[in-house]
Amino acid sequence: MKWLIFAWKNVMRNRRRSLTAMLITAFGSAAVLASGGFALFTYESLEEMTARDTGHVVVAHARGFEGDEDVPLQHGLADATALAARFAALPGVRAVAPRVQFSGLISNGDKSAVFVGSGVVPEIDFRLRGPQMSFLAGQPPASKAPAPEVVIGNELARLMKAKVGTLLTLLATTTEGNLNAVDVIVSGIASVGVPEIDKRLVLADLASVQKLLLSDKVGTLSIYLKETADTELVAGRVRESQPGLTVKTWRDLAVFYQAVRALYNRIFGILGVIMICIVLFAMVNTLGMAVVERTREIGTLRAIGTLPGEIVRNFVFEGMAIGAAGAVAGMLLAGAATVALLFAGAEMPPPPGRSVGYPLLLSFSPTLYGAVTLMVIALAAGAAWLVSRRAANKPVTEALAHV
Amino acid sequence: MSMAQATVSLGGLRKSYRVGESSVEALKGVSLAVAAGEMVALTGPSGSGKSTLLNLCGLIDTPDAGSRELCGKVLDGLDEIRLTQLRREKVGFIFQGFNLVPVMTAYDNVEYPLLLLGVALEERRRRVAEALHRVGLDALARRLPDALSGGQRQRVAIARALIKAPALVIADEPTANLDSATARQIVDLLHELARERSASVVVATHDERMSSHCDRVLHLIDGELQ
Repeated sequence: MKWLIFAWKNVMRNRRRSLTAMLITAFGSAAVLASGGFALFTYESLEEMTARDTGHVVVAHARGFEGDEDVPLQHGLADATALAARFAALPGVRAVAPRVQFSGLISNGDKSAVFVGSGVVPEIDFRLRGPQMSFLAGQPPASKAPAPEVVIGNELARLMKAKVGTLLTLLATTTEGNLNAVDVIVSGIASVGVPEIDKRLVLADLASVQKLLLSDKVGTLSIYLKETADTELVAGRVRESQPGLTVKTWRDLAVFYQAVRALYNRIFGILGVIMICIVLFAMVNTLGMAVVERTREIGTLRAIGTLPGEIVRNFVFEGMAIGAAGAVAGMLLAGAATVALLFAGAEMPPPPGRSVGYPLLLSFSPTLYGAVTLMVIALAAGAAWLVSRRAANKPVTEALAHV
Repeated sequence: MSMAQATVSLGGLRKSYRVGESSVEALKGVSLAVAAGEMVALTGPSGSGKSTLLNLCGLIDTPDAGSRELCGKVLDGLDEIRLTQLRREKVGFIFQGFNLVPVMTAYDNVEYPLLLLGVALEERRRRVAEALHRVGLDALARRLPDALSGGQRQRVAIARALIKAPALVIADEPTANLDSATARQIVDLLHELARERSASVVVATHDERMSSHCDRVLHLIDGELQ
């Protein structure tokens, strides 16, 4: 304890210089914490978005993900209802959503456009999608409507001059390779925030799609979990129980998530390295000056019987004190920014290829805060060790003669 | 005096320094033995080798040739760590410029050598209080060196040097930065405390009041004892 008090007194010896180092450390740690918090928030949002889109665990036919079907649902699941019931009974499962991916032409009688659609069970699917899809007009299709209903993307609606209640025709290839058509009523117009998807988006009731494709198979079964953290556990159980099927997790299917994560890790990694260099430089500068100024004092302490290692230890304590104070201030700054952004309602501009921005929020992660604090303290200790080693091992007579 | 009785024994010490291209021989085979409780004054003009001899006595420098013993322990070949440990246990220093640690109070400065020795808190408190009382600074224990006069600082330095009851005290011009009245007090104090604790004292000085208190006065000229 005495040594720590001694170290703190030495830190306070040149207050302005120590304060400058502390402030640099504080802003450096706050920058790392804020950028880390932003990256974490982005990862969490993308995780949620991907999981809501695909489901946490997706089960398909053994060749269901290969994308080499000659006709729709060639590699579909025939016994989907029984499988869905079995998966729904697994612990941690919230819901199981059967889906059929299909494509074709959509027409309003005057003009046609290509669409990429999904046949879904509306009661399950739209509940699980959450805020990822926003309805601009109307509502999800009803399963038991007298005429088949669809939700289309806002860009496609603009192209088709469609509103809620407009009658459109879907034209697609059946499982037998023939063309088939069905008249549908637009029940809703929605956006997923990506114009390229909104230009082709069609979501229809599963039974109607199966009728269009002349099949009772489904393409995939999307398993939604109560906790995203259980993904691997449930995927493992499904693989065990259905070894003949292909099981993928949202992470396997999240190409965008993986790309963003890789990019952000690199960007924020470089930012972190820059911050480390700045903090290290500030510490080396502050403590280096302290060592030079106190060389004579070091000589006195060495003459009295202080070992070089003990001199270095004292400087390391000083560095740790500055580092810890800076890290705590940095945590407070980053914490304040996190709270302020919660209430500020600030938005990030839309990323490339998207039409809507997303909230600018920072995630609070005790692990991140702890790791940054430890890293800053370790950096400060390392800097102190680096600059004090030489002076501590200087011959005593030389140190005492230092002016 | 035999080497065995002496606190510190130096035999044929030689020390040279390089100054530019040439070498200056600061000590030319100096031999000296200081008995327990003896106070020895080193006098001589500037550059005569007083500081070098003091540094070698205090184990903060190593000779080029010759032998050294402290309390019967042969020092030849000991590494810096071992020499530091010996200084910690057996040697006290008093410097001309006091050399107190400015962020430490008088109390903390005096306590420091005991911290190094790992003395328990209660024992430290007792010994520091006693040492400060002995040098007349009880009331100023919590003051920083900056808030003390030169004489008071040197008293703190004396207390710091003697608190661990060292076998040897090295004092380098301890009265040089003090006025004559204060210098006299410091000389008396150092003499008295060293006697009380049976510490051997080697003091480099130009001050006759100091040397007159010493048991022996050795004169160094050009690196040789006269």
